[in-house]
Amino acid sequence: MSSFKTKGTFFKIYSMLPIILLVLSVLNDFDFNYLNLKYFSFNFPFILIFYFTLKDFKHFDYLIVFAAGLINDTVIGLPLGISSLSYLLICIATSYFRNITIRPNQIKDWFYFLFIISLINSINYSILTLFFTFDLILMNYIVNTFFTFLFYIIFVSIFKYYLRGLSD
Amino acid sequence: MASSRDDFIIAIRSAFLKKSTQQKFSLLTLVFISIFTILLSSLDFKVIRYLKIGINELVYRSSFLVSIPEKLIKNTYFEIVDYSTFFNEYKENRKELGKLKSINISSEIIEFENKELKELINDYVSSSDKILAKIIVDKDSPFLKSIIINKGSKDNIKIGTNIYDQSYLVGRVIEVNYKSARVLLLSDLNSNVPVTIAPQNIQAIVTGSGDNYGEVKYIKSGIDNKFDEESIVYTSGTGAIFKSGIPIGRIKIQDKENLTKFNVEFYSDFSQLKYVFAEVITKTEIKNDKLDSSQNDNISKNPLDAKLKILEDEIKIIEDTNLKFKEENETLKTDINYLNSKISNLEIEILSKNKEIEKFNLDTEETEFLKMNLYYGHKCRRSFFNSKGFSVGTPEYKNCVMKKGRKD
Repeated sequence: MSSFKTKGTFFKIYSMLPIILLVLSVLNDFDFNYLNLKYFSFNFPFILIFYFTLKDFKHFDYLIVFAAGLINDTVIGLPLGISSLSYLLICIATSYFRNITIRPNQIKDWFYFLFIISLINSINYSILTLFFTFDLILMNYIVNTFFTFLFYIIFVSIFKYYLRGLSD
Repeated sequence: MASSRDDFIIAIRSAFLKKSTQQKFSLLTLVFISIFTILLSSLDFKVIRYLKIGINELVYRSSFLVSIPEKLIKNTYFEIVDYSTFFNEYKENRKELGKLKSINISSEIIEFENKELKELINDYVSSSDKILAKIIVDKDSPFLKSIIINKGSKDNIKIGTNIYDQSYLVGRVIEVNYKSARVLLLSDLNSNVPVTIAPQNIQAIVTGSGDNYGEVKYIKSGIDNKFDEESIVYTSGTGAIFKSGIPIGRIKIQDKENLTKFNVEFYSDFSQLKYVFAEVITKTEIKNDKLDSSQNDNISKNPLDAKLKILEDEIKIIEDTNLKFKEENETLKTDINYLNSKISNLEIEILSKNKEIEKFNLDTEETEFLKMNLYYGHKCRRSFFNSKGFSVGTPEYKNCVMKKGRKD
């Protein structure tokens, strides 16, 4: 695998993949919404940010997370700063969770993720309805939270392979 | 107890303030910047507005580029579906086109009448240009339904500009940048459109449902039983946000647990939009010419010219109508000729069939006679023993045979 590391540019791109994926996902809104499946939506950036900040991934710069939030707000049409705040709150939560965890456990992480995204979506919903008088359907948020929670475990298994490839 | 609280505080402080080796900013700083950005974006400062426009332009273009591969896959899927249903759709479309062509002329007449009446009441005449705009970002978010088009303030797009798919209303512009604009779709929860429901002529408001349909709201209680599934919803023009008379969709009645809901099925499929039309309106006030009697000569020409123009338009429409009628007449004449020739052919056929039947009848009669002749011929034939008989071949002989011999 040393040859992989000596490849230079390719390795750099590979190690930056989560960040590239984050930027692409907020620009492209990677959520399969165009399939028009009723009651189906999930938040891929939440999964990505939660996992990689929890693992203290060295290329996951908070500033880029902040910028990704701004891009997401612009694409979706939300007031600037809402998504940035949500993403940063995830970063704070993972940082806290990392500090208090001695023995990491995937199931614990998973349920902690559910708690965090529920809390963040509630804050998001409250800000948009109370301060910006947006009409939003609460059910959509609940469904989004649920599917994001379900998809977390699938994506985590993929991310594990990625990290294994990076450490080899 | 005190130590666990200390642990919690240390963990929180560490989470907020500790910068890892790779991080340039602490999370607390960035959270403050986020809150500050939220506050700033809610305030309408000129500098922030321009900054926002700049970010929007950059992000929309980037988003357009990034979503090209996904769009390609999505479009390929829809094209395959289109091809599989192509022929049936073509046949239906051809039928519909014929109907629409005839309706078009009557709507032209109505449009002309509308314009004439507006001029009569000294209202304004609005000349509108529809600009074709491409959709560069179409994120079907479950929360907000909006699209980004590639036309902005450079192309005279303003906040409130009506956006169409063909002639159907799609939404209105809510944010304008230099070369792009955000359109709030009718299906968005925040969209409210004053409408008229025809033919019942009921005024209502259609709000988005967050899904692919709208909901009829604010209608008088008691008149809701007047609606049927054929009711058409179009803009009423109340509040001057939307132009009047733009078709939106059809009423769909939904019965759920003794609660009747009136939904609007939009004519346009918002998930399939590629190009839309933005209507740039320029309003021209109609001057009250009667007030300026001193400049009679110059001014009187204007209404005369206007009237002449109106009459010319009227003549043009009448000519068009006549042309249409002539075409229809020609088609009918051709049809009549074809039918006449078909009738004459059928008459000839009937005649030949009759002859055949007649011949068949004759043959039957002859066979019957021959059969009878075998039995009763000797009773009728004149011979040495039968002097009262008839000569063979005479009608009397035949008559006698058919009557089974002489009866005297």
